[in-house]
Amino acid sequence: MNCLEFHRAKLADPRRLPPEAQSHAAQCAACAAFASSIDEAERDLERTLAISVPEGLADRILLRVHGARPAWRVWALAAGVVLAIAIGLSTMLYRPAPAEQYARQAIEHVAMEPESFHKVNAGDAQALGELLRASGARLKAPLGAVRYVKLCPVDTGTGWHIVFETPEGLATLLIVPGQPLGATQHATNAEWSALARPTRRGYYAVVTPSAAKTTQIDRLVRERIDWDA
Amino acid sequence: MSNRWKERSISRIAHFEHAVRAYSADLYRYAWWLCRDRHLAEDVVQETFARAWKSWAELRDVALAKAWLVTIMRNELARSFSRNKPALDIDAVGEAELPALPSVESQLETAQLVSLLPETYREPLLLQVLGGFSCAEIAAMLGTTEGAVMTRLTRARQALRKQYDLPDKKRRAI
Repeated sequence: MNCLEFHRAKLADPRRLPPEAQSHAAQCAACAAFASSIDEAERDLERTLAISVPEGLADRILLRVHGARPAWRVWALAAGVVLAIAIGLSTMLYRPAPAEQYARQAIEHVAMEPESFHKVNAGDAQALGELLRASGARLKAPLGAVRYVKLCPVDTGTGWHIVFETPEGLATLLIVPGQPLGATQHATNAEWSALARPTRRGYYAVVTPSAAKTTQIDRLVRERIDWDA
Repeated sequence: MSNRWKERSISRIAHFEHAVRAYSADLYRYAWWLCRDRHLAEDVVQETFARAWKSWAELRDVALAKAWLVTIMRNELARSFSRNKPALDIDAVGEAELPALPSVESQLETAQLVSLLPETYREPLLLQVLGGFSCAEIAAMLGTTEGAVMTRLTRARQALRKQYDLPDKKRRAI
């Protein structure tokens, strides 16, 4: 086996190297290093793909298929079903008016991604500028220390989820290009307050724990980012 | 009802329950990475097991249950996708269709890069990494050749390596 064949074998199935490939790696330092880097990438990939699974999935499957379960489990699952129906009904009854749809979605997005507040994966203002340029905007002055940046799925495609530090605590900025918004929207729940504002290429949303702080951060965002660049 | 029939029935239920607990998480992950929709992914997994149960008695070898479940789930996903987009032919996608990544591509995390892979590259990668299947097993599931699967896996990892080759700080920071 030569080096090219080894690379192909390692990239096609890193965990099942044929014996001749293993022999090659034992004699070729470059291929051994290549194998090591692939193994590291594979571990990263495994961690990434192992997303969390909805709690009780297996029980719900068994309930659906078999119906009858031990009594305590039936009652626990029944309670879960009743709760889910209640939440569903309340969602239907209190569906947000279209006028606040994107602000409400911004709150839901932040609530669904709590790790955004304790995970730090960013910190480069220059890269934030690059990201904004790709979204049709321009960073005029630093926004604050950026801690978290992730491209997230949203209803209309993808959007940037950014968390940055402010003197009053962390604030979230969502940038959603490609989704036109007619007018500024506001939404609030028990924990969060959001504002969604149209830009030339879509909209952005600011989410913080209070309406006052959201207004304050929105002012900062408008001062320091040119959305019509 | 004879005792033997009863025992066989109990054993069948036990095997099925074991399969649900052993494989439902990976099947959910597999479905999620293909459709990126939590509700659809759970619906598809539930439907997969419901269909599997109807034919569970015909499963001769429990060791083959996982591959069989994947096949059922692929059909379920295809049914869901067919409402929204045309089916893809795994042999009809060339290297030119690897994603044209945006300028900030090098800074995207692995998750985004995986999502950007065309489905025909993503699917065998998911089957191998999440399912632990060999290239030959994946080829049988996808109805293609082992060589075609190896090519797609190689290209998928080459696309992902663009990120891994960057220094760690630069890769993660945006």
